[in-house]
Amino acid sequence: MPVEVPKEKWPGSVRTITLGALPAEGGTRKRVVTVGGETAMPFMHFEGEIPYPPVVAIEIKDRKPDDWSPLLLETWRDVIDDPAQWAAAAEEAGADLIVLALSLTNRDGNPTTPEEAVASVKAVLAATGVPLIVFGPGQAEADNALLVAVSEATKGERLALGICEDKNYRTIVATAMANGHLVTARTPMDVNLAKQLNILISDMGLPLDRILMDPTTGALGYGIEYGFSVMERLRLAALQGDKMTQLPMIVTPGFEAWKAKESKVGEGVPKAWGDWLNRAINWETLTAMTLVESGADIVVLRHPESVRRVKAAIDELMAAKAFVS
Amino acid sequence: MAEHKVTFNHQAEPVVVKSGTLITEAARLAGIEINQPCGGQGRCGRCVVQVIDGKVRQRSALRLSAEDISLGYCLACQSIIEGDISVIVPEQEKIERRLVTDRTAVEVEPPLGYSPEYHQSLKRYFLSFAEPNYEDQTDDLSRLQKQLRVELGFKDVEIPLSLVRKIGSALREGNWQVTVYLNVNGSNESEPHVCMVDVLPFHCESDSPMWGAAIDIGTTTVTLWLVDLWTGVVHAQVSEYNAQIRRGEDVISRIIYADKEGGLQELQQLVVGTINQLIELACKRVKHYPVQPEDILKLTVAGNTTMMHLFLGIPPSYIRLAPFIPTFNQAPFLRAREIGLSANPHAIVDCLPGVASYVGADITAGVLSAGLDDTQKLTLFLDVGTNGEMVLGSKEWLVTCACSAGPAFEGAGVRDGMRATSGAIEEVWIHSETYEPSYRVIGGGKPRGICGSGLISLLAEMFMTGVIDKAGNLNTQLSTSRIREGEHGMEYVVAWGEETQHGKDIVITRVDIDNLLRAKAAIYAGFLVLAQSVGVPLEETEQVLIGGSFGKYLNIEKSIQIGLLPDLPWEKFNFLGNTAVKGAYFALLSQENRERIREIASKMTYIELSADNTFYEAFMSAMFLPHTDMSRFPSVLGAFQTANKLSVQT
Amino acid sequence: MALSGIQIYKLLPQTNCKECGFPTCLAFAMKLAAKQVELSACPYVSEESKAQLQESSAPPIRLITLKSDGYEIKAGNEVVMFRHEKTFYNKPGVFAKIKTSAAEADVKELAGRINDYRVNYVGIDLEVDGIAVEDDARNADKMQKTLSVIRSVSKKPVMLFSDNVASIEAGLSQLSGETPLIGCADSENWEKFAELAKQSKAALAVIADTLDGLAELSEKAKAKGVEDLVLVPKGKNLGHELILQSQIRRLALKANFRSLGYPTLAFCQTHAQIAQAIAKYAGFLVIDQFAEELVYPLLVLRQNIYTDPQKPIQVQPGLYEINNPQPTDPVLVTTNFSITYFSVANEVEGSGLPAYLLVADAEGMSVLTAWAAGKFDAERIAKAVKAANLDTRMSRKRLVLPGAVAVLSGEVEAELPGWEIRVGPREAVDIPKFYKQVLQVN
Repeated sequence: MPVEVPKEKWPGSVRTITLGALPAEGGTRKRVVTVGGETAMPFMHFEGEIPYPPVVAIEIKDRKPDDWSPLLLETWRDVIDDPAQWAAAAEEAGADLIVLALSLTNRDGNPTTPEEAVASVKAVLAATGVPLIVFGPGQAEADNALLVAVSEATKGERLALGICEDKNYRTIVATAMANGHLVTARTPMDVNLAKQLNILISDMGLPLDRILMDPTTGALGYGIEYGFSVMERLRLAALQGDKMTQLPMIVTPGFEAWKAKESKVGEGVPKAWGDWLNRAINWETLTAMTLVESGADIVVLRHPESVRRVKAAIDELMAAKAFVS
Repeated sequence: MAEHKVTFNHQAEPVVVKSGTLITEAARLAGIEINQPCGGQGRCGRCVVQVIDGKVRQRSALRLSAEDISLGYCLACQSIIEGDISVIVPEQEKIERRLVTDRTAVEVEPPLGYSPEYHQSLKRYFLSFAEPNYEDQTDDLSRLQKQLRVELGFKDVEIPLSLVRKIGSALREGNWQVTVYLNVNGSNESEPHVCMVDVLPFHCESDSPMWGAAIDIGTTTVTLWLVDLWTGVVHAQVSEYNAQIRRGEDVISRIIYADKEGGLQELQQLVVGTINQLIELACKRVKHYPVQPEDILKLTVAGNTTMMHLFLGIPPSYIRLAPFIPTFNQAPFLRAREIGLSANPHAIVDCLPGVASYVGADITAGVLSAGLDDTQKLTLFLDVGTNGEMVLGSKEWLVTCACSAGPAFEGAGVRDGMRATSGAIEEVWIHSETYEPSYRVIGGGKPRGICGSGLISLLAEMFMTGVIDKAGNLNTQLSTSRIREGEHGMEYVVAWGEETQHGKDIVITRVDIDNLLRAKAAIYAGFLVLAQSVGVPLEETEQVLIGGSFGKYLNIEKSIQIGLLPDLPWEKFNFLGNTAVKGAYFALLSQENRERIREIASKMTYIELSADNTFYEAFMSAMFLPHTDMSRFPSVLGAFQTANKLSVQT
Repeated sequence: MALSGIQIYKLLPQTNCKECGFPTCLAFAMKLAAKQVELSACPYVSEESKAQLQESSAPPIRLITLKSDGYEIKAGNEVVMFRHEKTFYNKPGVFAKIKTSAAEADVKELAGRINDYRVNYVGIDLEVDGIAVEDDARNADKMQKTLSVIRSVSKKPVMLFSDNVASIEAGLSQLSGETPLIGCADSENWEKFAELAKQSKAALAVIADTLDGLAELSEKAKAKGVEDLVLVPKGKNLGHELILQSQIRRLALKANFRSLGYPTLAFCQTHAQIAQAIAKYAGFLVIDQFAEELVYPLLVLRQNIYTDPQKPIQVQPGLYEINNPQPTDPVLVTTNFSITYFSVANEVEGSGLPAYLLVADAEGMSVLTAWAAGKFDAERIAKAVKAANLDTRMSRKRLVLPGAVAVLSGEVEAELPGWEIRVGPREAVDIPKFYKQVLQVN
């Protein structure tokens, strides 16, 4: 007796969003990246379309970071002082996208100037062919000053600028709107807050297909279950037709996992934690894969081995389409 | 331990206190009253005093500006005396007498077909006795008991000692004719519980009044109706602020205060004092009849669970502690004397039953008077006071919950908030291009603050004109000097200093907006959780009945615009006024209604909001203007888009 | 299908007699709908209603329990597709693989390590649940030997996998009185497996690469009298496995499809398979390699995904360092309600000012709620200070209380001698200003 599988026919779908612009489109990228467009829950190929695979971005900084795990500093040792080289190495390691996170201060400890930020962004663009996401240092005034300069200097590149938060989104949205960029919108692990920020941003007039949402996920062991469920709920709401949740999701498991003690600390930890480097990479991989399973469209990672594993898994998840159609 | 001299208001005699004493405690010793609306928690900032000589250690300088502090201002309840000081206590803000009784009085007709013989538990009987003689040596009490048994069929009448003391004189003074008042209680016809309330010489006129009182003890206001139980007519309606206010504005503050030494007794005396004042006042108000407090023979009392505990002097501590179990929901019948009420000392005091710690007798009484337990229509009943309690249901079932909306809509917890008295801005309009406001003030003079309805109206206008975004952030990109950086973050100036009574700007701050959002979100989330708990869409509600004094001033359109009330057609909303006292009145008159309240209390299903995160979810989605799920507010969405020339993105 | 509270209420006596322990029939009905109480608590429910209610409460996924001396591992009884809809109940049992081809000494060493593995995560000891023996040697003697060695160092439940039924039989001889899992039965050898499972009362794993195949096997095994079944959907790759697992769960829950109403098992070789098996529906996991640095995150992930999402969202109580604070910097105290934590942490972080954030365990309530409920008082704050070792750690002892609980300042002072207790602002947005004006000035 053949088993009849009930299929969900969802009324809604996730928006399709393209990052980066080719020379013909007013940018300088060699390739662009398109995400979104899902009409079913993650990888449920038998009942809907998953037209674009989730993509993997590698996060780099504009200078050697002060607070990263020594394991990461070692991994990127040769390129860590030069964002252009670092970006090229990241592309080499398989990044579909680069995330450049600007620092609050420059190498000399002085506040990063808009000119320095623009120089870093331009250098990264010149060194790579993939689309770019630029995050400010995470402090409202600095974010606004640096991102406005970056946005104006890269008009037409279709960068994604971030991070918009409910208390500070107007300036970033306005400059993205004026210069043809996208924005990323981050909210702290709550379905309603995510939706609210999307509404606020779209109320300013930025079309919804230029917003990526970052629901904040937490790392394995540090609240990932909330992130996991918030993402599932957002995706379900999108498929059910709720327009304000129909945005592709960007998540930062690299940032989350590498700030965990399990990744940062190698000495004086329980023996049951096992080998440090492998543990740290496992931490990042498991965090990332759990989020891919719950609907992530862009996964921002830090270690090349995690990138390799996550990309391989995504390939398999996408290839399953052949087995059910 | 060191002792210090504290001089208040330049008085000649300083008080001497131990090191570590609070200024409020020293003031009490000095006989100076300092109001503490928050119960001495250092939250409200109303107990500000100025230290003009010496220094104190301040635990908290909340609500004081840097300038205030430099001038020696401090919070009396948070300042510790560690040396000799001299203190000026500013003229205490007099607790306002908003309650002009005439304004709150409502037309009440006795229920149709009211008959004291049939409905009333308080019965009046005229008894005549044969005079005793040498043959008939029956004692007075037995004589009375026999008559009760033979003539009225009451075998077992409870007669308190103090009434026994009166019997001898009453019989003789009345020439062996007396009037007895009995309370005959219970639906069980064969064995009712009968107790004697009074025995008076002579037969009074058969249709003369029998006095009773219906009382609602609100956290803020106490209301009393004086009723002739014979006709059912309400002869006086009076209300007054609950005197407990000066020991805390909300129930939690009162519970905390009650835990302090002597606190419970003080609070009990304060509320009984308020009721006694009201009794006196009501008696004076009655036209045509000379009424004395002692003539009142039965009192029916409604109130929230905390108020009932405090009224009876029962420690309310456990109400605030998880899992929130009160000492009682249903009190036994009591006599006025036991509580200290200045009615007839034997008068029956009937405290109506509550459901849970935060859904009390005021709500069960309200449900009765709103007729929720007797309607086929799916009804939402809402009582917004200092707390927001709500009931959803109909004849079939009732669910209820309470959410701590906070006192923002009563003007508290908002920088320039105030109660709805003269000088309060009660309505605001904002120009959609210049962002200039205009407003209406209660009493018509210069404003000195904004009351609840004014805040709702202001919030709605700011939202519709884009002064704030849907999350309540002030839009700093608008070209108006009214949006500015203030002492507590961004703020919007509603009235410039030159327009106001006190010469200071009246503003609404970002923090105020958050408080208002929280208050409205809590109430709407309560609606949603009730509806979800029984799986009924909120939109299917057929009528919304709003009780409580707050309701009267509520503008439905603005309340829907900010997402406080569900987006239903306006004709579905009805304001009922004080439903608690009305319910108490119904129960005072009729045993049947009293029984209905008991049933309501027993069948109402209480939903504890802190039991899981359903409420939290609903609350977060309501923390937006009008709501995160905009499809719940189609009328607002339409108006907003028109106002902001937005089109729906598809 | 599950009935709602109101639907159940209509089947109850509606007398509000309170004998069930709930104040009203509706309250009881809601608890029944939430499956938090048994219908038998109502003494007055009619037979007719009982029949209707019991049908709706039968578990759509059978509960399977693997047992050994002193251990029980449960799977099944799940009721939702997504954990936020209610919760996932039975954490998937994690079994580490040992092969029969391994040398005896290696088996003993590995079994010992698996058995003894214990790691502490937020105060909970996490362990591996058992050992899965893979008969790669296809040898009954080896199987028997391997199990006797395992049983000499571990009493945890085991699974026996072989395509050689004789091996399984030999293994079972070492496991009397236990309920292990045996398998995997496929379309060719299922009959012998079913016989053996029935005889030995073991749970039986059936394997197929289609749902049709799995359903057919489970029906046949059931017809043979085997009730305790575990499904092993053999996907063609990671994505196919996800689809099969999702379809099985959905058929059981949404279509009440009994032939697939059993827990599933996933064999995991890669990290992605592990994450997927935990997040998406496996009832048991068999991991290929036992390595501490993998088992630790795996067990943590399982713990995370299987926490009850209906509980308030909390952050881990403890000390958080913001902007690289020094022992002279102030300690701000708040509760572990996530939104409270985030709003405070974001303000401090955004201000760029260094501080310690001490998060007290207030059972996930916000400051005022927790205070009102007695979960955030001087005693708890003092306890948090002590737990974080702040007395020795801080050279300048300044504790800042949230303004909303200014009332606690006196009591906290008394609880924490030597500490300077300050009252901060009521609202998080005022923290940066408070910090600059009050904390930095003195």
